[in-house]
Amino acid sequence: MILHPTVIANLLAAYISSFMVLYALFYGVQILKYWDIENGHELQLVLERKTYLIATLLGYVFGLQLLSLFLYIFTADSLTPLFVGAMCAAGTLNVDAFGYPTLVLKIVNFIVAGLWLVLNYADNQGYDYPLIKKKYLLLAFIAPFIVLETLLESAYFLSMKADVITSCCGSLFSSERTTGLGSEMAALPALSMLRIFYGVMFCTLASGIFFCIKSVGGYFYAALSLLMFLVSLVSIVSFISLYIYELPTHHCPFCIIMEEYHYLGYLLYLLLFGAVVSGIGVGVLSPYRQVESLKLMLNGFIRKLALASLILYAAFTALVTYEIVTSSLVIAYEVVY
Amino acid sequence: MIELVNVKKVFNAGNPSEFSALNSVSLLIEENQVTVLKGPSGSGKTTLLSIVGCMSRPSAGRVKLQGREITSLPERFLTDIRRKTFGFIFQQPNLIKGISVLDNVMLPAYPLGEKRVHLKNKAMKGLAALNIANKAASKVEWLSGGEAQRASIVRALINDPYIIIADEPTAHLDTKLSYRFMEIIETFKAEGKTVIITSHDPLVYESSMVDRVVNLRDGQIEV
Repeated sequence: MILHPTVIANLLAAYISSFMVLYALFYGVQILKYWDIENGHELQLVLERKTYLIATLLGYVFGLQLLSLFLYIFTADSLTPLFVGAMCAAGTLNVDAFGYPTLVLKIVNFIVAGLWLVLNYADNQGYDYPLIKKKYLLLAFIAPFIVLETLLESAYFLSMKADVITSCCGSLFSSERTTGLGSEMAALPALSMLRIFYGVMFCTLASGIFFCIKSVGGYFYAALSLLMFLVSLVSIVSFISLYIYELPTHHCPFCIIMEEYHYLGYLLYLLLFGAVVSGIGVGVLSPYRQVESLKLMLNGFIRKLALASLILYAAFTALVTYEIVTSSLVIAYEVVY
Repeated sequence: MIELVNVKKVFNAGNPSEFSALNSVSLLIEENQVTVLKGPSGSGKTTLLSIVGCMSRPSAGRVKLQGREITSLPERFLTDIRRKTFGFIFQQPNLIKGISVLDNVMLPAYPLGEKRVHLKNKAMKGLAALNIANKAASKVEWLSGGEAQRASIVRALINDPYIIIADEPTAHLDTKLSYRFMEIIETFKAEGKTVIITSHDPLVYESSMVDRVVNLRDGQIEV
């Protein structure tokens, strides 16, 4: 199983990421312990030079980390024909105990890696490394998750057995089942979720626009971005998928990445993940707006992040709305089982 | 004002070939003065000059330019300082062959995005001031040693730097051209520029326009 090209690519990406992150962490810890910009001693100058290498390297590693989420989903989807019972990535991820935990960790790591890139970009704009300790502190926080993800991902691919009969997405994301997060999300009343989705999205976009105009409420927008992200994920399972599949009972969040649905899922998830990273980035950078060396640029950069997040959320909503409007499915009342 | 505090530079650190070019050099270079760094070959003159000019970083110590610490600056900030603050005149003219004198002179200004017409006027003025305006369209390989040196001086001035750095500028010039070079340096001083020259040529360090001579030996300043 592990000789499948996409599995090799996944594992290679995970091992490279882990190795590079640990290497970077080694110097990151030294920076956290010994960094003193006022001092001209030899170690300080070595660390100043090292931080270029480390930051550049991490830029690529975390870029790879962002891609690896989509690669992982793609891999799970492409392995589907190898498992009895699997109809899409949902079934493949269920072939052993490590598939879904790896996915959850990949989502978390996508967000924190994205936030590290945001922090790194802001730090690079200052002449005196204004966010360097925060940057490496965040790295120290991320590193165990990246390593854990690699371990789980390895365990997932290595534990795959071809003779396992797995569940299909219709079973895993069924509103008729009583247990499991997927089923609980699927069981949420679709019409109510639709109203919540548009309500929270309206608040998010309004607060984002207010922030872009007045530069006030950055933390609030960041919090709403995160909330919107979670609501959107639940909404995909609860009602968006129904409109895309034009089936009132099919809630799978993975089938939408398949060719039959024009790989629409990739676009939806790309918009959503981009929006949440840039949205939370607004809150992450807001405390540093008064840092002397960042004063001139940081406000502009935060506004650009908010704008990017707004555009991505708006595009996500437009796409969802288009799917709902053009869908043959009409949900006129809640089906209660 | 340029201030160096305990500057050290070690090449190949940790290797058997480790060489310490500068050992705890502390120095204050005043504005609007001509300072000559004098010393024998291998004394650390060029290393010190390259650190002052942000072309290399020290292994330890700090350099302050107008009170602002510059050794810790990220590379892209250093590039900006190099471009706008320093004009470099090297031992060899280091002109790019195959293109004209005018293009060579204008080259360091291209990244700043100045309009070509303005840039060309400025370059032609500089060339005229050093009596080589008639060579503007010539390829650099057609120039004599003195003309090439003057072209490199105009190139060093194209971004109007306030610090001129010259590394052994008279090493390849005859006596007459060396005197001519020192006359040009005098005009820089008159314009309020700070000039730092490395040289072991008596014609340079004994010149009346030189305000200060700093003796270097074995990577240290001789008192």
